[in-house]
Amino acid sequence: MHHVAVVRSQVPHGRIVAIDCREALAAAGVAGVFTGRDIGLRPYGRRVRDVPILAVDEVRFVGERVAAVVADSRSAAEKAAATVIVDVEELPPVLDAEQALTPGSPRVHETPWAYPGAVVSEADPHNLQSRVLHGRPDEVERRLAGSRHIVDRVYRFASGHQGYIEPQTCVASVDAEGTVHVWMANKSPYRLRAQLAACLDVPPDRIEIHPVAVGGDFGGKGSPMDAPLCAELARRTGRPVKLVQRYDEDLTSANPRHSGRIRVRIGCDSDGRLTALTADALFDGGAYAGFKPIATVSLHGLVDIGSSYRIPAAAVDVRIAYTNTVPRGHMRAPGAPEAVFAFEAAFDELASEAGLDPAEIRRRNLLRTGEANPWGETWVESRGLETLEAALAAYRPLDVDRGWRHGRGIAVYDRPTSPGKTSLRLLPSAEGVVAEVPMPETGTGAHTVVREGLARELGIEPGLVEVRQVSTAALPHDDGVGGSRVTAALSKAVAEAASAYIDRGSDEAVTVVVEPGGNPPVTAFCVQIAQVAVDPRSGQVRVLEILSAVDVAQVVNPHAHRLQIEGGAAMGYGLACLEDLVMRDGRVWAANLGEFRIPSTVDVPAWRTVLVEGGRGVGALGVKSVGELSNVPTAAAIAGAVADAAGVRARDLPITAEKVYALLRSEEVS
Amino acid sequence: MRLAFLLNGEQFETEAPGSVLLLDLIRGCGLWGTREGCGVGVCGACTVLVDGDPVSSCIYLAGCALGTEVWTVEGVARREPDLVEAFIEHEGLQCGACTPGQLVMAAALRARGKDPGEAATREFLAGNLCRCTGYRSIVESVRATLGS
Amino acid sequence: MDPDFAVPSSLDEAVRYLEHDGAVAVGGGTQVGLLLRQGLIEPSRLVWLGRVAGLREIQRDGDGSLLIGSAATLAEIAVSPLVRSAQPMVARAAALIGNPRVRVVGTIGGHLAHADPRQDLPPCLLVLAAEVRLLGRKGTRDVPLRAFFRGPFETAIQEGEVLIRVRIPASPEHTRGCYKRFTPGTSNDYPTVGVAAVAEIEDGTTRRAAVGLGGVAPRPLLVDLPQLAGRPLDATALNAAGQAAATACDPASDQRGSAGYKRAMVRLWTERALGACRP
Repeated sequence: MHHVAVVRSQVPHGRIVAIDCREALAAAGVAGVFTGRDIGLRPYGRRVRDVPILAVDEVRFVGERVAAVVADSRSAAEKAAATVIVDVEELPPVLDAEQALTPGSPRVHETPWAYPGAVVSEADPHNLQSRVLHGRPDEVERRLAGSRHIVDRVYRFASGHQGYIEPQTCVASVDAEGTVHVWMANKSPYRLRAQLAACLDVPPDRIEIHPVAVGGDFGGKGSPMDAPLCAELARRTGRPVKLVQRYDEDLTSANPRHSGRIRVRIGCDSDGRLTALTADALFDGGAYAGFKPIATVSLHGLVDIGSSYRIPAAAVDVRIAYTNTVPRGHMRAPGAPEAVFAFEAAFDELASEAGLDPAEIRRRNLLRTGEANPWGETWVESRGLETLEAALAAYRPLDVDRGWRHGRGIAVYDRPTSPGKTSLRLLPSAEGVVAEVPMPETGTGAHTVVREGLARELGIEPGLVEVRQVSTAALPHDDGVGGSRVTAALSKAVAEAASAYIDRGSDEAVTVVVEPGGNPPVTAFCVQIAQVAVDPRSGQVRVLEILSAVDVAQVVNPHAHRLQIEGGAAMGYGLACLEDLVMRDGRVWAANLGEFRIPSTVDVPAWRTVLVEGGRGVGALGVKSVGELSNVPTAAAIAGAVADAAGVRARDLPITAEKVYALLRSEEVS
Repeated sequence: MRLAFLLNGEQFETEAPGSVLLLDLIRGCGLWGTREGCGVGVCGACTVLVDGDPVSSCIYLAGCALGTEVWTVEGVARREPDLVEAFIEHEGLQCGACTPGQLVMAAALRARGKDPGEAATREFLAGNLCRCTGYRSIVESVRATLGS
Repeated sequence: MDPDFAVPSSLDEAVRYLEHDGAVAVGGGTQVGLLLRQGLIEPSRLVWLGRVAGLREIQRDGDGSLLIGSAATLAEIAVSPLVRSAQPMVARAAALIGNPRVRVVGTIGGHLAHADPRQDLPPCLLVLAAEVRLLGRKGTRDVPLRAFFRGPFETAIQEGEVLIRVRIPASPEHTRGCYKRFTPGTSNDYPTVGVAAVAEIEDGTTRRAAVGLGGVAPRPLLVDLPQLAGRPLDATALNAAGQAAATACDPASDQRGSAGYKRAMVRLWTERALGACRP
């Protein structure tokens, strides 16, 4: 096996003049050095195919792959990579989204509309990645004009990272028949296969993605990433190749989250009932759009802003821009933590204007069963009110140390449950059954759901059910982990497979393919109450507790379910208070886990979870999604608690002591 | 130089520079339970025991292990299977990437004496990052292995 | 070329090994390990002090001062009954550094030689008038800590020299110390500001007070507070101390805080740290 080290661009924008690999080629243990000239353009992507395997002619962000060294050891590859000299004629970079969409700004791409999958046209601003417009802006303006109270605010968000403990990794080989074999930390093997097929120009059945357990994903391991490069290198060197990113490469050059800002305008009448909402979001998508998987090439959480409430008129405009910075991807409920933060913060201010407390204004405006949400969607039930009341009933104020001020904040989020497409094979084994599944275990407990579900459906002990992930050659399809679709899709597959298995006498293999659709429209609510203590003299915020009330139907595995809720809240806390990649001058400055801080055992608040049972779920097992739920409203709840404690409103994340201190000082001054 | 130490209870010897990182030496032996996460000694995924003390093997010079007793998660799990049982029973993991480090820390903490309580246990584990669980179940798993 | 790895068993041997061009002394090795893997240093030789006889000892001298061998680990210092009784502030500060793995491997010698201006021990040692003993080919010399730190990652250690001991003189009776590290983000991080306060108070009157500051200048700072002598350590005095510390510091804006914020925090935490020194 060969090892790969990547030479990366040190400048945000430039034309490649020359790449001098002579010293690297002569170095001990080196089998080859490859540049974009050798590989060709061959762009890949999850939707938009604009990501070069190696930069050709132009570099577009600090960290972009420019050359790859293949050697017999990782250290030989890295030592040789350090000797490669890349001569780049620097070009003016565009480093923020506002600037990017200004006429006359430097172009990140010459013809972005020409990429397969692109959702922009030649008439759009030249650095636009995507724009989604939804709702009725004229109706909104009319209603806002007639509103008793209006709040108009801008909220800002730093860049962050998924923070999985295992970095991006890939092994690829090409066999004698030319089939490409890939082992990769990737959560959607079938999509990966299709993406590789498109990029390498190889039929999908000549690509096999092998099962690999994934050390955390959170939305960051759904792209081809280094697989196309590894496949090409394996083909050219005739041996399997392995590429493991060092963590600083992952933080600075993989696919971290979008930064951006949202302007929210909401209005209400004299009773505090919402009249209208408009949101204008501008986010930085970095140098390539290819790491976003959805057809709109947007962050759907932003488009769904305000979804938990009854709002007669709503409009949203979400723009994502190309910039000369690291390309951005998805992270656990993409866009939703930001949308909820912005909405809930503005909503709290509106409550203040209307003389209502945060709980009461939510009571009056939460969607009831039968009502359509602001985007026209209706659900079989809307249990926001029950969930809010459950949270409030469970709430117990905690004591704070002398000199610290106590505060409480509330935030609401709802997320629909939509199962994806998946397949499953059930076979008899010596003692019980084997379930072959197409998706990896990324830590969410997906395989446990299958085991527990099958045990239940077949009436056998869970210990007699063996679950194993198989390669893409062995099962028809799966949409992959993500979008909270795993439990719902798998539970459908489990129910159908078990039923078919029993019908056939429980002694022969059955394979089922489950299509999405045909499900009642189901959404799940999560209401969080945050308690904080604020030291007004330093601005320090200690988050004491996050209470999560979660609207549930059937819970297949209570332990895994609870861990998703707690882990999600931890991630929400990190986003709220700690995480910032510190993007400056086009580069990531928080380039290791000592600088980009994720929460530790002593940082996290206490978790309390209240399950609001009795909901209607999806599929035969009747489940509601939980994977992208509790991480979403946390920042909003914490900001609300800080406002309650200290009388100041944090409008950009992360909420640091210094920011609170500055807000308090400016309050004193004014 | 000749590097010799006890590795999981057995004599281990190799010829390598003393500046080689202990993590690379261990993984080079096929002991893959010890992982490289952050690579800067912060996340704890690379934790091993050297003479009973937990160290970040990703920044530990192999020469400093001369003549010591090194235990990796494989050895710890074999000699103290009840640690693994505790993590299973108390659901102390999700994706598993941080788990070897957590297990090794649990062994180190147990060797230091009885249960020091919730706060001190959390302090001891503060350098072992987990992105999945939110830590409650990890702390419960570790405390379940401690005597009172 | 990989560096040699020397394992001296005596100080004389260590000094001889260090005479080699490009030789670097190694305590616990964590800093060196990090710098090596990042390719930031290319030493020809690593001289590991972990096996030098007697270099890890912690003892009391005849005059009551505390002597800590440079190879003593931060964890050993944190739990040492001798350190906890003679200089409890030092033991407590040592217990806060990094994470448990850093503390069992990191040595006080390596810690001081690294000289990151944000570290926790330097302010504590400065305010206790500590000194370090350096050993080179020409023999030993003692350097008070206030002359030891020259700038970020820069100390008085010359080529061929190695830090072998820290000496903390016995504190006068009625002396109390308190170290406050302000880490508003995550707790096991470098502090935004660190303040080590010492006050000698007898019969309600301050005889001597001083603070050591970390993270707010290119090197750790010692701020003597003569204006507090002869007065009670009351709110006015604490205020004055905070002002003096804020004036003396020279913070840089970075990820952990802007210069203005750090200055404001120096003032606040000086008040709080000194306030905690009241009987």
